[in-house]
Amino acid sequence: MSVNKNLKILIVDDFATMRKVIRNLLKQGGFENVVEAEDGLAALKILKSQQVDFIISDWNMPNMSGLELLKAVRGDDELKALPFLMVTAEALKDNVVAAVKAGVSNYIVKPFTAEVLNEKIEKIVKSLAA
Amino acid sequence: MDTTELRREIDEMASSFLFLEKKEIDIPTAGQFLNQLEGVMGHAEALGAAEAQRLSGGLNQLLEKVVLESVDAAAGFGLFERGIVLLQSVADGYCNTGRYEGSIDPFMAELAACLGIPLEPASGETAEAPSVEAAAEGPAAAKERVQDESLLRDFITEGLEYIGEIEMNILNLEQEPENKDYINAIFRPFHSVKGVASFLNLDAIRTLAHDLETLLDKARNEALPVTPELIDLILDGSDTLKAMIGQLRDGLEGREATELIDTSDLVRRIKLAEQGAEQPKQPKKLGTILVEEGIINEDELQDALERSQIPPPRKLGQTLISEGMASPKDVSRALRKQAQQVTDSNTIRVDIKKLDDLIDMVGELVITQSMIRQSDTLAALGDRKLVRDISQLASITSELQRSSTVLRMIPIKQTFQRMSRLVRDLSKNSGKLVNVVTVGEDTEIDRNMVDEIYNPLVHMIRNAVDHGMEMPEDRIQAGKPERGTIRLKAFHRGGNIVIEISDDGRGLNREKIRQKAVKNGLISAGDALTDQEVNRLILLPGFSTAEKITDISGRGVGMDVVKQAVEKLRGKMDIQSVEGKGTTFVTGFPLTMAIIDGMIVKVGNERYILPTVAIRQLIRPDRAAYNCIVGEAETINVMGRLLPLVRLHRLFDIEPVHANPWEATLVVMEGEKRSKCLLVDEILGKEEVVIKNLGESLKRIKGVSGGAILGDGNVGLILDPEGLFEMAEAN
Repeated sequence: MSVNKNLKILIVDDFATMRKVIRNLLKQGGFENVVEAEDGLAALKILKSQQVDFIISDWNMPNMSGLELLKAVRGDDELKALPFLMVTAEALKDNVVAAVKAGVSNYIVKPFTAEVLNEKIEKIVKSLAA
Repeated sequence: MDTTELRREIDEMASSFLFLEKKEIDIPTAGQFLNQLEGVMGHAEALGAAEAQRLSGGLNQLLEKVVLESVDAAAGFGLFERGIVLLQSVADGYCNTGRYEGSIDPFMAELAACLGIPLEPASGETAEAPSVEAAAEGPAAAKERVQDESLLRDFITEGLEYIGEIEMNILNLEQEPENKDYINAIFRPFHSVKGVASFLNLDAIRTLAHDLETLLDKARNEALPVTPELIDLILDGSDTLKAMIGQLRDGLEGREATELIDTSDLVRRIKLAEQGAEQPKQPKKLGTILVEEGIINEDELQDALERSQIPPPRKLGQTLISEGMASPKDVSRALRKQAQQVTDSNTIRVDIKKLDDLIDMVGELVITQSMIRQSDTLAALGDRKLVRDISQLASITSELQRSSTVLRMIPIKQTFQRMSRLVRDLSKNSGKLVNVVTVGEDTEIDRNMVDEIYNPLVHMIRNAVDHGMEMPEDRIQAGKPERGTIRLKAFHRGGNIVIEISDDGRGLNREKIRQKAVKNGLISAGDALTDQEVNRLILLPGFSTAEKITDISGRGVGMDVVKQAVEKLRGKMDIQSVEGKGTTFVTGFPLTMAIIDGMIVKVGNERYILPTVAIRQLIRPDRAAYNCIVGEAETINVMGRLLPLVRLHRLFDIEPVHANPWEATLVVMEGEKRSKCLLVDEILGKEEVVIKNLGESLKRIKGVSGGAILGDGNVGLILDPEGLFEMAEAN
């Protein structure tokens, strides 16, 4: 079974170039249905106003960090089941464990390739479908 | 909370494990178990159920490692399963009998083994290079590169913009060093730049951004104080990053590449700053100051702090003022006090050249004021107020001179650290066991002296380790601890810094030194020498040249060279030694090369300065002590030794007051390898003078090492004994 490439993916990162990098990598994996938000607050606004299937969020952002966004999503009845992939700069134990405890679906360490990103997305989506 | 509840919690965990749909721990599952384990750990601790606490803690670690992929997921799964079963029986034990009868140790050992051996990290995520590598191959290559280029352009524009933000936030941070928001605002741009740079394979940029980020992270976690140095470092870092990104742009626009930016110095400074993290110095908070001043009390402070948090958040000072708890004047005074602390607790860096210039100028000032003070016109005026004012000026200038000289002083610590490292290396190479103990590391010395004294000290250390220290087995045989000790000690004594290097090795063998000295003709067999004098024999030139000295004394060759080097720095050197107990080298150096302790002598109408360290004796000889053999040099009998007479007036062509040695004064001076008597008219006194270079053109005048301005404003030449001796010998 292959993953539905029409998933609507929300990229959350304050650095526009980084959003573009991820968008490009997603495109290589066949995912083209992408929306962007520049921080956690903006992401929540989008999540409230339109249907999103998957969140890819940076850890370190102004206004509302990735972890805070994750907690807000998991604490919201409508959004709590959303797949959430956290992007971190290093696999720092404290950060990763905090994200895992807050219910992250998976995490990915910068820099990553399109293949690894694809793999992570498929893994998350498949485990949800099972 | 009781044991039954703990068991219920554990059972719950076991059942959710049982109902796992797939036999693997994926991240969401791990998260769920981590949260459950957290509860179990806390409750086990509260109940004093040690095994349950250890076990759940161990499982918690296991899950963390699984999540971080440093433990193989399948192995982790099996271990976790058995751990839960064990945890259940531990909980049963506590419920039924109040304790657990079995042992969890075998399982814990297995767990520790599993956690201790990190497996290969999962492939793919770590070092794989993204698109650039792919660009080299296939038809997609061109497209990839275009994409890369457009990304690169975005990165350059956005990166520069982001780094620009740093400067703005730095200013805020400087005013409020404890404000985490500002640190975060600076942290983030570095972090983002690093992230994108890693995708674009811009390694140098990524590394630098990473280092800066780490530094800021420490500051954020209060492991590092936010000092002006830190702020400077961050600014330098962001400037460098800016320059590096600028180069990228130049490269894209086809402009000629400038030289690659060298970040090594910056990286080194960052690392140094990170190491300085041990003693965080935080300025007192505003609230604390106000409480201390008695303007508000602790409760009011807490109250105000809470109210400051209510949105829209305000600063504490604003809250206090608007609530009427403190007057604006109180708050601003406290703020000033706070700012004061920040500067108080810090130092500033000054270029050594500027310091040297300052000290030179102060030297000139001292001389000028002394010229004014001794001026005849002033004495003739007889104005008592003026005289009083000028003597006030004199005391201020000499105080100024003292404090400006201190500016250039640095602790000897660094030199000691280098020497300690040297001892470690040397002892490792020779198979000896040596400890280093340092005393008086904070003793200060002129920065310009530090490098100068290092070499002679190294020679002494080398000797102490190579020859003074015995091998471990010899030490045990001699009833000493296997591990020897070398003590480095520094202290101030009478305007000098004294450095002692002592070892507890075999000491000097005086009998053999004496025999050796007799053989080399340095002393005669009948000479009565004190122990001290015998020790000093090894410092004499010609003592250690004939054969290897190590055979007889345990001291290496070339101590005379060390002594010369010390004396060249106007220092003194001595040796103390007890056979079998160890040896101590005592060296004294002047604190600075800028000032010399001089004896002022007069010949005719001229005055000269002789360095006091080179003077052994001052004598007025009997007529009988003077010998003059025709065609040979004149000599003076000084306590049994015949020393050549050097007539200073003859060397410098001056008409002397006294030409006969028994009417004049003789200064016995020591140069390298020999002593001579210098004939002068009279001794005027002893004075510390500031050494002045004579300038390039007069640099090579024999017998003169420099000039100094004397108290009355006249110039006196500082004489160099070795040069004088050579002049005398040439005649």
